[in-house]
Amino acid sequence: MLQRIWKLLCSLKLTIILASAATALTIVGSVVMIRYPKTFGMLDEMTLGAWFSRFGHSNYALTGWFWVVCLLFILLGINTLCCFLDWLPKVRYRWRKSGEYLIHLSFILLLIAFIWGSASGDRSEGHRLPVGATLDLAEIAPGYQLKLVSFDPTFSAEGRPNDLPSTLVLFKNGNRVKEGTIRLNHPLTYADLVILPGSLAQQVDGFRFSGAVELRPGSIVRQADGSALRVISFLPDVMLRNGRVFPGATELNNPAFELELIAPGQEPWRGWYLLRQPLPAPLAAAGFALQPIEPLVTWVSILTINRDPGADLALLAAWCMAIGVLFALISFYDKRQRGDAPDII
Amino acid sequence: MDLTRILLPLAFGLYLIAFVLYLLHFKGRQASVAKGAFGSIVAAFALQSFVLGQRWLSAGYLPVTNLFSTLFFFSWALAAVYLYFELRYRIRAIGLFVIFLNLLLLGAALPRDPVLKPLIASLDTPLFTLHIAFSFFGYAFFAMAFSLGVLYLLQRIIATPALPDLHTLRRLNEEAIFLGFILFTLCMIFGSIWAYVAWGYYISWNIKSVWSLVVWLFYGGMCHAKFIRRWQGGGYAALSIAGFAIVLFTYLGIGLLLASNHPLD
Repeated sequence: MLQRIWKLLCSLKLTIILASAATALTIVGSVVMIRYPKTFGMLDEMTLGAWFSRFGHSNYALTGWFWVVCLLFILLGINTLCCFLDWLPKVRYRWRKSGEYLIHLSFILLLIAFIWGSASGDRSEGHRLPVGATLDLAEIAPGYQLKLVSFDPTFSAEGRPNDLPSTLVLFKNGNRVKEGTIRLNHPLTYADLVILPGSLAQQVDGFRFSGAVELRPGSIVRQADGSALRVISFLPDVMLRNGRVFPGATELNNPAFELELIAPGQEPWRGWYLLRQPLPAPLAAAGFALQPIEPLVTWVSILTINRDPGADLALLAAWCMAIGVLFALISFYDKRQRGDAPDII
Repeated sequence: MDLTRILLPLAFGLYLIAFVLYLLHFKGRQASVAKGAFGSIVAAFALQSFVLGQRWLSAGYLPVTNLFSTLFFFSWALAAVYLYFELRYRIRAIGLFVIFLNLLLLGAALPRDPVLKPLIASLDTPLFTLHIAFSFFGYAFFAMAFSLGVLYLLQRIIATPALPDLHTLRRLNEEAIFLGFILFTLCMIFGSIWAYVAWGYYISWNIKSVWSLVVWLFYGGMCHAKFIRRWQGGGYAALSIAGFAIVLFTYLGIGLLLASNHPLD
């Protein structure tokens, strides 16, 4: 009985049936994919595991075929594994088939890698990171932080971004573990993390005033009498409630600086300067004449951060498949030259 | 002066001459006519290779990015595949059908604008070059298998001495499928690695990628089906024809009719 089951699992006919069924169902299912982009268009934005938990159970009439295709692939993987295990003890006298069986092995490895990545990986995009800022990756990869050191996008003559080079430093539990510059087709990878340039945006991070004065967080303006004005923070939009300042939207609307005035022989003053309102009295009294001219903008790098624990295994499978393909090619012509006839069933 | 606009119609003319000569050879089976046809194809292929090389040099990248350039590259790859089979097996009359396919591809490319546009930044990687080169060579072998499949069925019906015997046609078909599958597998490998470094995942569910998986599965299945007696001969020939329909839809149907990450314009 066990021998019959094993024979069935190793059967070439089973391979053809499963591959044909998966092919036919995928062809039919692709029509469903095109007709329902709201459901299937999300497949690349999340891992397959996340997609199944979000969409897989909502409408089986729509997603049922996809469950079956995945099941067919798993069965095909089991069938391929059994064929490989069946061949392995015969390798000494069937070594000419090594190329074909390396391709089989790589298919199994790829399937395992993909299932692993789909089940415990993660995908996220749209992480906005201004230069100098640090992003806590707690939601994607707990313990990791990412700092953007520099961002220097380049543009074509038509104004389209040519490349989005961002120099990043990755920290794990506060320790620097990797740094590098990412560009299009050149991600930063570490363990199961892959960090890629996604897009870019502009962000207002300060203001230019009359007299060529530029204020950004950290800027200091000194007067001849020794008083100094330091910018603590800048918000592009604030709301006032009971005299207190609260952050508003991220777009420029009601900008405000949090400032500190240090004058010799006086108590330091700290407060908000809302650019739509007159200069706070202590600043005017200290002789500061700030006339807002225009906002200062800086580029923000928008990053895609994915986590795929199966990626290294998938790369190993790719190497394995490439070598298998090369071996299979050599042995195909070798067998033809030797007049070897294949076993026909 | 744009050499493409001059040399490509010339190559088309030479393929047309080869087609007519193969037609004559199919009827009269004169060796000199077949030699003339082969010479025309070699000359046309040399012209296409020169144009491809010149375009590659002036663009700074392998120009296979729009409908014109993919049709042109597909046609060039198909001619290369035909020359491989002709030089290795002296298949002669089989060329009639393959060259007809080539005329269709090149004929569809000729009225289109051959202008070279700057490469989109994300395509500027050797992985892209390898991905598309292996892809179109895979397609070319599948086109060859399609031709051989049609001729196999034709030979079974009309049994003409102008065509190779059924055994030879079957073996050639199996070889074309095998080589096509090998090259398409390499295309998938490089495409997946590229997808990973570009988007952070190596398997995409974009419609083009799904159909590429269908192509790979289908021909992978065919590589297994040749070991089953029932599928040998007519069945295998019919599968070669069906497979090429899938290839054509994956290449043209999706690129032209549907929104995908592999648009053809």
